[in-house]
Amino acid sequence: MDAASSGNHRPPAEAAPTQASLKILIVDDTLVNLRPLEVLVSRLGHVPLLARDGMEALAVYEREAPDLVIMDILMPRLDGVSAVREIRARWPDRWTPIILFSALDGMRDITAGLAAGADDYLVKPASAALVRAKISSHARQWALQRKVRAYADELASWRAEAEAQNRLGAHVMARLTDAEGLRDAMVRHFNLPADTFSGDLLCAARAPGDVLNVMLADATGHGLAAALTAMPLTQAFYSMTEKGFPLSSIVEELNRKLKRLLPADRFVAATLAAVDVRNQTVEVWNGGNPDALFVTYGGDVRARWTSAHPPLGILPEALFSAETEMVVFHEPGNLLLCSDGLVEAEDAQGTWLGLDGVLRLLGLAGDGDRLRCLAHGVEARLDGRPRRDDISCMMVSVPIERRELPRLAAPAAVYHGDVAEWRMELSYGAKELRYLDVVPSVLGLLTQLQAVKPHQSALFLIVSELFNNALDHGLLGLDSATKSWIGGYEIYMQQRAERLARLGAGKIDLAFRLHADEARAALDIQVIDSGPGFDYVALNAADALADTRRSHGRGIALVRNLCSQVVYSGSGNRVWVRYLL
Amino acid sequence: MQIASEVRDHRAILKLNGRFDFHSHRDFRAAYEDALSRDGVREVEVDFQQVDYLDSSALGMLLLLREKAEAAGKTVALARLHGTVKQVLEIANFGKLFAIRA
Repeated sequence: MDAASSGNHRPPAEAAPTQASLKILIVDDTLVNLRPLEVLVSRLGHVPLLARDGMEALAVYEREAPDLVIMDILMPRLDGVSAVREIRARWPDRWTPIILFSALDGMRDITAGLAAGADDYLVKPASAALVRAKISSHARQWALQRKVRAYADELASWRAEAEAQNRLGAHVMARLTDAEGLRDAMVRHFNLPADTFSGDLLCAARAPGDVLNVMLADATGHGLAAALTAMPLTQAFYSMTEKGFPLSSIVEELNRKLKRLLPADRFVAATLAAVDVRNQTVEVWNGGNPDALFVTYGGDVRARWTSAHPPLGILPEALFSAETEMVVFHEPGNLLLCSDGLVEAEDAQGTWLGLDGVLRLLGLAGDGDRLRCLAHGVEARLDGRPRRDDISCMMVSVPIERRELPRLAAPAAVYHGDVAEWRMELSYGAKELRYLDVVPSVLGLLTQLQAVKPHQSALFLIVSELFNNALDHGLLGLDSATKSWIGGYEIYMQQRAERLARLGAGKIDLAFRLHADEARAALDIQVIDSGPGFDYVALNAADALADTRRSHGRGIALVRNLCSQVVYSGSGNRVWVRYLL
Repeated sequence: MQIASEVRDHRAILKLNGRFDFHSHRDFRAAYEDALSRDGVREVEVDFQQVDYLDSSALGMLLLLREKAEAAGKTVALARLHGTVKQVLEIANFGKLFAIRA
């Protein structure tokens, strides 16, 4: 193909290798001027487009969207300056350099041309070298502009992608956070995210024995990153709470999961608490969060749980400590958990709010409004300045209730099918008793039976009482009377932990039988321990229910209340109960 | 944040200055990788005297340094903690993960 015959073909001779090929519109009514420019443009490796006057130039400009325009001024129909003005008016968003190329060399002509919207002015006659230099100069600018545009486009597409991921993260976090348990009458909370959504996670759920478990977790990062860490946390928290695992076992599992999933620089600061209204205890594990506080309605801090562990997801299982701190409360109050964002909320001078500030704000309102008052106080402190970190807070109101029976949810589903006879016998030796969570495991097996599942809460309490009596009194020789001293509950729990760790011999046998005898399904439970037993005749004689201030003996009273029959035998080391389904 | 590095005997000291947060990621990594790559260095000491703020991503970077140092058979110490920086590290119980030095 002949190089000169096609405008689209680029002879490489004079074109710089890195230079892009531009569409260059040349406008001139004189063929003698037009031709040499056309040849020059082709030689430079660009594509020439030709027009003979301003009107034609507009038509070609609209159709071809050239990258550069070289425009004569004195032309018939529409002159060059008017054509430039028209181009700028009609296509304000196109970025096209225009060079006016005219024999008019007066200062007034030049300024008028530039004022109309031209970028450059070249006076005829001009040497080929000068025209070439001008074209190259504009081509370089064009290339730079193109590059900037490409970066901007890429950035916009990354941004769109990031926003889509953030929306996904926000959606998942919202779903994870919106749990039934948070609507518990005892729980109030607020969450002020730093971005549009938070990396803080709040969870609450009832364990089968009516204990309330709560968690406030602060993951590194926001959006998808936070949601990824929150997912395994919520799953394990809710499923283990539902099965009645102790707080320390839940914490251990959360740490194990996160350690396995997360890279070294990601972790989750978390506070977990178990509030047991029946036993008047609050148990807390705090790893990396500000102090958890138990505050009386009068505003006094009765207990303070300082972070005693590194956050979750850092330490391997062997070094991790799930040790909790338990406190018995003797007056009603609020348990307060918060993320560091709350304590570090800054005023205009950059001073942190601090826990004292939190307590001050809480103290400004009556009980029902305390948390709202705190949230408003924090907003006022920030005064519209952006939050550096997510701010979240959970308040659990802890009442004193003199009641023997926990509020058990009515069986959610009642089983109407036939009950086939079913038996299960389990035996635990000292070694297993030292480390196993026996009750949740056993309940896990029991509740697989459709007939039993709806009675999970009551059965959890019954099996817990019977098993704990066998272990605490039968094998560990603990005295329940200890619990009624001041500070006795803590001493009791400490003795229990020490003796259990040293337990060298003994065993506990559990037997379960599901059957339908008297036209009604029943579950018989028998617990036998290898201990010396106790004076059950005396216990039977005492009406344990009458004295509700006694903190011991209440467990057995509870079992008697839930079961149709309770029979002790042997030396007191065997107990048999019947629970009607 | 600025980082000044120096090596004294078997110890590489990273003196941090300013706000230690996620913007410091690249500089901090470059500094500790350089320190850990030196043959004679047995310990990396991070000096916090001139640090006035520390966020959770900074804690993450310290954990990364700890992991890299362990893999190289070296130790990490956090030195001259004060004010809110000390408070943040105490709440996170980093004293159980790092040697802390006055």
